[in-house]
Amino acid sequence: MEGRMTSLEATMKASSTMASSMARNADPDQQTLRSNSVEQFYFPRPGQSLPGIPPFFGPPSSSLYLPNDNEAKFGNQFESNPSQNTDWDPQAIVSNLTFLEQKIKQVKDIVQSMNNRENQVAGGSSELAAKQQLITADLTSIIIQLISTAGSLLPSMKNPLLSSNPAVRQLGNTLGSPMGFGMNANQRPSVDSKTDIPDTGKTSDYDELMNSLNTAQDERDELIKCPNPCGGEGSEPTPMEDHDVKESDDGGEGENLPPGSYVVLQLEKEEILAPHTHFCLICGKGFKRDANLRMHMRGHGDEYKTPAALAKPTKDSGADHAPVTRYSCPFVGCKRNKEHKKFQPLKTILCVKNHYKRSHCDKSYTCSRCNTKKFSVIADLKTHEKHCGRDKWLCSCGTTFSRKDKLFGHVALFQGHTPALPMEDVKVSEASEQPHDSEPMNEMARSMVYSFPSSSSDGISNLDMKMADDVRGYFSPLSFDPCFGALDDFTRPGFDISENPFSFLPSGSCSYGQQNGDS
Amino acid sequence: MSHDSGSSAGAGVESLSLDLLAHALAGVRDPRDRKSCRLASRAFARAEAASRRAARVLRREALPRALRAFPALSSLDLSACAGLDDASLAAALPVPGSSAEPPGLLLPVRRVLLARASGVGWRGLEALVAACPRLEAVDLSHCVAAGDREMAALAAAGLRELVMDKCLGVTDVGLAKVAVGCPGLQRLSVKWCREISDIGVKLLAKKCPELRSVDISYLKVTNESLRSLSTLEKLEDIAMVSCLFIDDDGLQMLSMCNSLQSIDVSRCHHVSSLGLASLIDGQRFLRKINAAHSLHEIETCVLSKLSTIGETLTVLRLDGLEIFASNLQAIGSTCKNLVEIGLSKCNGVTDDGIVSLVAHCCDLRTIDVTCCHLLTNDALAAIAENCRKIECLRLESCPFISEKGLEPIATLCSHLKEIDLTDCRINDAALQHLASCSELLILKLGLCSSISDEGLVYISSNCGKLVELDLYRCSAITDDGLAAVASGCKKIRMLNLCYCTQITDAGLKHVSALEELTNLELRCLVRITGIGITSIAIGCTSLIELDLKRCYSVDDAGLWALSRYSQNLRQLTISYCQVTGLGLGHLLGSLRCLQDVKMVHLSWVSIEGFEMALRASCGRLKKLKLLGGLRSVLSTELLQMLQACGCRVRWVDKPLVYKG
Repeated sequence: MEGRMTSLEATMKASSTMASSMARNADPDQQTLRSNSVEQFYFPRPGQSLPGIPPFFGPPSSSLYLPNDNEAKFGNQFESNPSQNTDWDPQAIVSNLTFLEQKIKQVKDIVQSMNNRENQVAGGSSELAAKQQLITADLTSIIIQLISTAGSLLPSMKNPLLSSNPAVRQLGNTLGSPMGFGMNANQRPSVDSKTDIPDTGKTSDYDELMNSLNTAQDERDELIKCPNPCGGEGSEPTPMEDHDVKESDDGGEGENLPPGSYVVLQLEKEEILAPHTHFCLICGKGFKRDANLRMHMRGHGDEYKTPAALAKPTKDSGADHAPVTRYSCPFVGCKRNKEHKKFQPLKTILCVKNHYKRSHCDKSYTCSRCNTKKFSVIADLKTHEKHCGRDKWLCSCGTTFSRKDKLFGHVALFQGHTPALPMEDVKVSEASEQPHDSEPMNEMARSMVYSFPSSSSDGISNLDMKMADDVRGYFSPLSFDPCFGALDDFTRPGFDISENPFSFLPSGSCSYGQQNGDS
Repeated sequence: MSHDSGSSAGAGVESLSLDLLAHALAGVRDPRDRKSCRLASRAFARAEAASRRAARVLRREALPRALRAFPALSSLDLSACAGLDDASLAAALPVPGSSAEPPGLLLPVRRVLLARASGVGWRGLEALVAACPRLEAVDLSHCVAAGDREMAALAAAGLRELVMDKCLGVTDVGLAKVAVGCPGLQRLSVKWCREISDIGVKLLAKKCPELRSVDISYLKVTNESLRSLSTLEKLEDIAMVSCLFIDDDGLQMLSMCNSLQSIDVSRCHHVSSLGLASLIDGQRFLRKINAAHSLHEIETCVLSKLSTIGETLTVLRLDGLEIFASNLQAIGSTCKNLVEIGLSKCNGVTDDGIVSLVAHCCDLRTIDVTCCHLLTNDALAAIAENCRKIECLRLESCPFISEKGLEPIATLCSHLKEIDLTDCRINDAALQHLASCSELLILKLGLCSSISDEGLVYISSNCGKLVELDLYRCSAITDDGLAAVASGCKKIRMLNLCYCTQITDAGLKHVSALEELTNLELRCLVRITGIGITSIAIGCTSLIELDLKRCYSVDDAGLWALSRYSQNLRQLTISYCQVTGLGLGHLLGSLRCLQDVKMVHLSWVSIEGFEMALRASCGRLKKLKLLGGLRSVLSTELLQMLQACGCRVRWVDKPLVYKG
């Protein structure tokens, strides 16, 4: 899960750098070429390889399960799932691209005019400074517009095409990253290198730009993070929290440090509930993670790009001398509060956060599956949602169990209770014939994913994995839980869809027969 | 007998009470004779209908009438009922609870056999359970599609016996349904229900304390299941064939249960002599032990424990083990009451071993020494000398046995009913000796290529009770031999003539005189044609199974005759026959009992021919064997239809090879 998210974020970052580099790149020809090629990603023609990026667009039919039916398949998927098409509007994208093109031209003009003025060196230094500020402000606003438009392109692109055609996704990604690197390593953006902006003005403007960049990125993140925007459940965009560091309990239990051997810190309620804990010292932007802050700091100048600045701060630097720190809950009367006579300290700040939210806050996150369970920590909700609905071990008395042996223990204990048959069991007799039918489909999905040459970059290989999920998720608009197997009713639409593509084939075709029967 | 009853049936018979007539009919065992009685007099027909306890229904159309006609029916066999499905079963059964019908109209059936009734699902079973309030025993074996829902339907009946071998869909939940619903369950077989685990068995043992017989063969259960089952105080019979996760510890746990009478640990590869010895230790009533193919060899610990149950043990099967003469001597001296011993494929079985075994076990009735290559005539002489009551001798692949060994057997053991001499290199002289065993029912002479018509003449002269005769690859047999057999052994039901290539239509003409013939195998008889098959079809009306594979000259004419006369035919193999789509379609369309057809490499039948023929018979077929290539060319509706009717198709990809 986390891997998926980070890979997504990586994608988004790569694409945002791509956009920004596009914005800063003053060469209009190159820009048009780029945007053309971007346009081509949206209209992939199987078998046609793009100039410059051949490996990702090899003829897909060669490795697909069903030769020559690639297009038919996709077309059919769209038909069967019209709701997914709404975001994919070629006209909107074309207009967005034209907009981008215009803006890039504007940027180019401004930079050229700046260039001219620099050569002239006519007016006084104060006048020049004022003009430069004006131009920079212009530039900033244009670049922001550019980026937000480019950003609005991406979410619409990811829905049908990204999920159905991994090549597009990979292209977008790989195209993005080299350009991003190029910006970092080779050429300084023309804005920075050619104009000599005074430091004071630069910082404020630059901060604005970076902030807006970040907000634009955040918006995209919000959109992207919702894993299945068109499907039924899970469509609700969920803000991301530190759900990776999930503590089984609030921590500090059984540690038994002797009182006095550690320093007790007590954070205030506001501090605990603050969404961000890491703040940029220059612009004040808050982050949930130190790593994100460090990434952000890169934008504030070269001094933050050194390996030392980017490195993870080592914890053991002063650990030998620093006293052991433990935390207290600000809620008076709580066992975790230092005033409590059986006070049990909390081990880390994260423990404090989770404890405070779990114990002293409203449970505002409701499980969208069962609509009964509520949580105050989003990670708890995620954990619950993973297992929600899996309490399929149902007793005739109505009690559910997550494990079969627990149910059987219950049944053994009570007279007359029996394990109840799952509701969808009636359909299982039909559904049980399906799985081997759907097998070729899954296999096709797999072959689609792996037929593309794997890239050296980690992010891309992650993407591969992600695509495997995505393709499957696409087949069933409802959440597809592979663990449910044939028992789960949710899988039915998936099978229905997967059957359709075959109906295009002549019934006498050999491949059909071989795939469908059990040999 | 039938003629006696028939001729005396007149006005006098009508005046007798139904009870008396039923009593008289009870003495008539043979169903054919009973039929004669029924046909001769209405009174007999009424008496029989009123007193009839068991019925085997072969066609679903006949089911409602049968249920109405036999009000005293207690046992209903639907295993061979062609085309039986939920709808037809439910329609045939009276509906309970309808106000118009008094409760007396519900069926008194206690026992229902539904083995291989693959079309019956939970709806049919629910109707059955509702209509038969006294239902006690159900056999649902080999209904591979049956699952938890079917079990839930049956559990409502409160059964005493349930066999669900190879109901592949049954999981622990289904077993729990049965366990909770049938607290009085006494016999349960869950063989091959691979989804059942320790958890289910544990609940079963807890909920069904009356269990006497449990079969958990081929399950993926562990020692824990045996621990649970050992709490059953009345457990007598336990089978755990090929339970690969069970080992000596499990048997040790099972030994807590000391009421066991029968143990089957065959093919449990992790069971050793030690475990078996610990299991035997506490037992006092053990009568049967089957340890075939499990222990590597039988060790002294087991032999010493055998002495504690020596008085009761009657059946000991040690197939596939390493057995030495000393072992057999020890077994013989401790288990004096042995009735059956199985030593097939045992290495090391010698004449000395057999001699020392039979010296003490004079009650032995069945001896299986299949593939004990070292045995000679001396062993047979010892058996004949000591075991006068011997009824069954399996001597397959004992190459040193000859007519000299069989002579004492034939002269001294007059009770001999079954002898298997497959691949034994015996000759006509041996058959001459065997002919003196007038009780002989089963005679297997496969691969004895030196026996000829002369031997068959000897056999047919005296073995009039013969029921099964196997002449597989007795290539010296000709039509004359069959003439002798047909005239002397009228009771033959199963006849195997595969690869007796000299047989022609004339031979089949003789065979057609065997009215009771049910199973006939004629594989690779290249000289027989449709004419021979026609005479078989007309003469052997009871025919259930017919194998015509590689009878290259059999054509449509044979199929026409079969479709016209062999209305009981259930299983048919016509691979490689020279038949066309027309004949095939007519055959499959008109044989209403046909359930299992193997038709590979029918090169004269077009795809349309297959399609039409299969469509004609769709609802009835349960098993099909077809060429793999057909799978892609037959219409999908047809395949779906077949699947929906519970028909399993086996697709084979064998090359077309002509032999013979």
